[in-house]
Amino acid sequence: MLDLNQRSKSLSNWWTAGTMAAAVALLAASPAQAKTLGFVLTIWNIAQVETKFIDECPEGFNIGYDELWWRGLSKDDRAKYTDNGLRTRLDRYFNAIRRGPNKEDVCMNPTAVAAPPHLLVEGKQSYGLNLDGDTEGKAGANSCAHENFEGVDGTKGVDNQMYRLLGCVYGFRSYGQFEVNANENRKSNGNGMTLFEITNVDDVKNDPDVTVNIYRAIDPYTLDGAGQFTPWASYRIDAPDGKPRYKTTLKGRIENGVVLTEAGDSNVPFYGNYTYMNQLIRDMRVRLEISDDGASAKGMLAGYYDVDQLLFYVTGLGPIQSTAISDCPAIHNAAYKVADGYPDPNTGKCTSLSSAFNFKAVAAFIVHPKKEVESASAGK
Amino acid sequence: MLKRVVIASFATLTLAACGEPEPVVKGAAPMLRLHTEAQYRNAIADVFGTQVVVGGSFDPLIRTNGLLTVGSAAGAITPAGLEQYDRRARTIAAQVVSEVNRDVLIPCTPADAKRADAACAAEFFSRVGKFLYRRPLTDLELKTPVTVAGEIAATTGSFYSGISAGLSGMLVSPAFLFAIETTETDSGGKPRLDAYSKASRLSFLLWNSGPDEPLMAAAESGAIHTDKAVAAQVDRMLTSPKVEAGLRAFFNDMLAFDEFAKIEKDSIIYPSFSLAVAEDSREQTLRTILDVVFTNNGDYRDIFTTRKTFMSGPLGRIYRIPVDRPDGGWMPYEFPENDPRAGLLTHVSFAALYSHPGRSSPTIRGRAIRESLLCQRVPDPPGDVDFSLFNDPNSPNKTARDRLTAHSVEPACAGCHKLTDPVGLAMEQIDGAGQYRTEESGVTIDPSGDLDGVAYTDAKGLGVAMSRNPAVPACVVNRLYSYATNKAPERDERDFMAYLEKDFADNGYRLTRLLRTIATSNALFTVTPAPQQTAAVTN
Amino acid sequence: MTFHIRRAPPRRSVLRGAVNGIAVGFTLPFLDCFLTDNGTAEAATGRPLPVRFGTWYWGLGHTPNHAVKTKNQTGEGIEFLTECEPLKKHMHRLNHYSGFNMPLDGRSNYTHFTGWVASRTGSAPGSNFEIPAPTIDLLIADQIGTRQRFLTIDASSCGIARENYSARSTNNRAAAEISPLNLYARLFGAEFVDPNMADFKPDPQVLVRKSVLTAFNDQSKALATKIGSADKARLDEYFTSIRQIEQQLDLQMQQPEPNMACSVPASPAPDGAEQNMPMGLEVETVVTNHKIMSKMLAMAVACNQTNVVNMVFSDNFSHMRRPGQTYTHHLLTHEETWDKDLGYQPVAFWFNCRTMQALATYIETFDAIKEGNGTLLDNMLIYAVTETNYARVHSIDGVPAYTIGTAGGRLKTGMHVVGNGDPITRIGLTLMQTMGLSLDKWGTKSLQTSKPISEILV
Repeated sequence: MLDLNQRSKSLSNWWTAGTMAAAVALLAASPAQAKTLGFVLTIWNIAQVETKFIDECPEGFNIGYDELWWRGLSKDDRAKYTDNGLRTRLDRYFNAIRRGPNKEDVCMNPTAVAAPPHLLVEGKQSYGLNLDGDTEGKAGANSCAHENFEGVDGTKGVDNQMYRLLGCVYGFRSYGQFEVNANENRKSNGNGMTLFEITNVDDVKNDPDVTVNIYRAIDPYTLDGAGQFTPWASYRIDAPDGKPRYKTTLKGRIENGVVLTEAGDSNVPFYGNYTYMNQLIRDMRVRLEISDDGASAKGMLAGYYDVDQLLFYVTGLGPIQSTAISDCPAIHNAAYKVADGYPDPNTGKCTSLSSAFNFKAVAAFIVHPKKEVESASAGK
Repeated sequence: MLKRVVIASFATLTLAACGEPEPVVKGAAPMLRLHTEAQYRNAIADVFGTQVVVGGSFDPLIRTNGLLTVGSAAGAITPAGLEQYDRRARTIAAQVVSEVNRDVLIPCTPADAKRADAACAAEFFSRVGKFLYRRPLTDLELKTPVTVAGEIAATTGSFYSGISAGLSGMLVSPAFLFAIETTETDSGGKPRLDAYSKASRLSFLLWNSGPDEPLMAAAESGAIHTDKAVAAQVDRMLTSPKVEAGLRAFFNDMLAFDEFAKIEKDSIIYPSFSLAVAEDSREQTLRTILDVVFTNNGDYRDIFTTRKTFMSGPLGRIYRIPVDRPDGGWMPYEFPENDPRAGLLTHVSFAALYSHPGRSSPTIRGRAIRESLLCQRVPDPPGDVDFSLFNDPNSPNKTARDRLTAHSVEPACAGCHKLTDPVGLAMEQIDGAGQYRTEESGVTIDPSGDLDGVAYTDAKGLGVAMSRNPAVPACVVNRLYSYATNKAPERDERDFMAYLEKDFADNGYRLTRLLRTIATSNALFTVTPAPQQTAAVTN
Repeated sequence: MTFHIRRAPPRRSVLRGAVNGIAVGFTLPFLDCFLTDNGTAEAATGRPLPVRFGTWYWGLGHTPNHAVKTKNQTGEGIEFLTECEPLKKHMHRLNHYSGFNMPLDGRSNYTHFTGWVASRTGSAPGSNFEIPAPTIDLLIADQIGTRQRFLTIDASSCGIARENYSARSTNNRAAAEISPLNLYARLFGAEFVDPNMADFKPDPQVLVRKSVLTAFNDQSKALATKIGSADKARLDEYFTSIRQIEQQLDLQMQQPEPNMACSVPASPAPDGAEQNMPMGLEVETVVTNHKIMSKMLAMAVACNQTNVVNMVFSDNFSHMRRPGQTYTHHLLTHEETWDKDLGYQPVAFWFNCRTMQALATYIETFDAIKEGNGTLLDNMLIYAVTETNYARVHSIDGVPAYTIGTAGGRLKTGMHVVGNGDPITRIGLTLMQTMGLSLDKWGTKSLQTSKPISEILV
């Protein structure tokens, strides 16, 4: 498996800056009984730098599968699918996605057609962390060569190849179909919800040693009359027979009300666009900023995201891609090209994408099963 | 198992009951009392089952001596109200004869479903009529629905349409909508309540619903006129699960929890408060009270101090307590010893109900404590106060205490505000939605005060002071007796009230004991007949 | 127990009339007692139009010196100030009343209660819940409303059913309809008969219902012989209610008078949109529901379903509130800081202004329905009154009031009527006489008057 010690040496500015403060906090720690804080994730987005004039995508957004299909049709075939033809709009969606030579669904079979060109982000700035400790774009022991970003806060060597891959796909922008849909889906049906539990908290403002657990919940969100997420609701951990289906444990600390974790491998649950996911993220670090009243939090999470998982998600989105203006073969092909983490020992090709996510959460009570059985699902 | 314990303790109490003789009361006139909404619903559920839906609205009643049940003794039916009863009756009747229900609810099958069947109709109407009117039907009362059913069946070609029409008529008749008490003369020539009127008094007191078959039988045989039979019936009835519904109805009325129907909270100020929170908070308090006074047959006064309660998902958000079944259901919960909450006054229900939509109100809360729980009268505010005193634009008043202090220095206001505010201010650490807080407008809240000379530091302490206040048991005695007789206790009943209070105290303030003492008392049945109406009814 | 089901059926059949296909074709004699004097006629039928009555209630009065400019004597023209700005354009459709008092003969002023009771019943209450006499709308309804499907329709947009300012007595007080959907179902649901429908066929179910009520009514009267006199009065109220429903059913057996003004409104929530119809005291909810209900009430009148409509905009304590604000309208009138420069409490004032906008909406709703040569409002008389003159100090002298409409040309409008301390019952007496009630005095004790306001009579 992973050499965690080695990975955790590559710390970003959040974590390096924290080391000294932790010692101070230790002295100030309250002698009171250790507390547990809980949060339920409400909003989850790929962290993207989106400029007003889309400077990061100088050639514009990628085109979607519908247009790619249309381009490949003969004049006669096109006539069949115009509004004057007999085909319905839905009919067109399903024909468009089956543009393989033998009518293969190109999301299910992304290699059935030659991959169309895919536009990558060309901007210089990104959210995220310097995950590999390198600032020059060179390959390392656990990374492939790639171009670095400059962090929005000026950090050098920020790695975020997921942004590079998806930043110019309309559907993955913060206002795009995929991102908006996913949050709405989860809000309305309460599937695949993520719980953050911070235990061993002696001082909610500064504590050098806390533990962060990540679970999946089985209870849907509690919303108020205006449809907003309500804090202080109780959520049960998804734990059939007392064994949590998802559990990631990270060491961490609290500095000035901000929870920072060390790096660790994790499996963050997800549901969106009708797809359940195991988000396998290696070297994941979490930053969680708790509001003064303790009722809400916002955070960022960064790490190496498994390419296969991402493609499982993207290719599973099927005809939704029509309104999201996206194409499976294009993303599929480009994803392996830009992957920058964890090279396959046999092929040397990288299998993960450096990534960063922004999220919001509200305070929650996390209800453990009566008899909890230890399980560690991280990285599975 | 639990039930058995309760029964056993009732039996012990029965033996201990013989003490001083019961003071004699004069008694009021027999009643014509409009059934409350809950009683109407119970009657339908008892006769036809809970699957029959009862809809529509009911005319409002006037809370009298703290109880709507007392107000119901003066209740009348307006034309708009009757329109509702009529629509409701037709809807209920249609459900009863519906294909899914008729085989269960109608005891016979007509020879031909397309024709009238007087024998089957009579069997049905005499059976349900007895429970709807809470006495056997007179000949005319049976003949009417049977004839209606026959004629409607003949014209519509449906036996069941006929039954439906006849039943809907019964359900709007005054014999069903009102409890109509009648008197008779006993063997000594003295007037007394007739047997069925007595049976109804007992069943409405204990169950908030009409008599069941065995009680009806005790009335029919005349046994109900003996103390022994009454005691036997009461002891039997006290073991029925319906007692819980009866006590629930009593406390719902005493605490004016019917007001939850119109509770409203500002969703911006209190986003966590929802309809589910309101409903559950009411349920939580009723469950807590019943747990003390019924399930555990404990000291009534403990409802003000008990840390034990029940928690639901929506309430967990307000109390900030994790609940193990956030998807529904209740779990027992005990506030930790150092928790600022304990007892009824710290519940979300009491705090939220007696508040404004967007803020707490020590005055409203204080008034509710004084009037509902201590049976004290707080006068209405005078009509001619100059409020400009409290309108100083440079007011430094940040907390409710600051604002109300201004009232208590103004003589016109001080009298009442001195009654309400100190107790109400004790609850200020619980906001208008029932959430705990320690500050208002950035200033630390001071919840200390005193209740009739007993000092406390917060709402929990007020609960302790309440539990030791002699007015608290006296008040529940007053209310329960009032609830039983549908009137405020009168001057001649003082001795009887004192007798009840002593009996209550001597028996550890057990509410079931008080209930039994009232139910088996002579006072419950004592009436003075009203002057008879001689003129014919005009129409 | 014995019963005699094998006896011969009673001589008189309980089912008076016929159902199932047999037409029940009788018509009531046309009532001419309340037709407009000037003979305004319904174009389609040539029949004169009836005059109808209504009340409109709002809580917490006006802001003195900022609603209507004070006058010393009755005269034409009303000078509306900021709070009543929305009424300006309707000045010629209404009268404003000021300076009428409520002498209580030593009785308490039960805050927010005495005011409405005295103005509507002519008597001061002896407690904070007593309603000592029937309210004016019911006295008028007994005169003009008994040949309609509903004696009165009482609606409230503030979501509190029991705050209905129409009652016969303390205990005989119906709940107001607070849900627009229920109001719609009651007025225009399955039992509604369109007065303008081409071929009217009575619903046989109506006759069934009538027969049932009548049969049981006979049975129930036997009960009355067993009870005391005080209770008998309440049982009589029950029988009165039964009679009224029987009358309603009789009327449903025939087509209401046709009225071209009637156009059946659409349901306020088609396609199961009930979830999106909030009720409550949030001010914009109140305003929205008031608007929806106003239209239904106006159409209930135009469709000859009732001749008397009572609308409560806000309750007598006006618990209306704005989202996110901790103070209700009522609390504001007592606790909001009085602004020296403005001369009033600004937020409480805002609520009062919103209320007068609603009154303007109510006027416009009735005025928008064409009837005869004019509008429905021409054939209406609406009494709008509140319970206090100045809520901040609960004063009940000079409680402001309005009458809207000319009652078919019998009442002058555009007048500011000054009471000079006369009892407020003078307004009620004038209205009742205008509506055809033959009474020469109204009210009790110092509230009694025999002096109608002759200056406004045509």
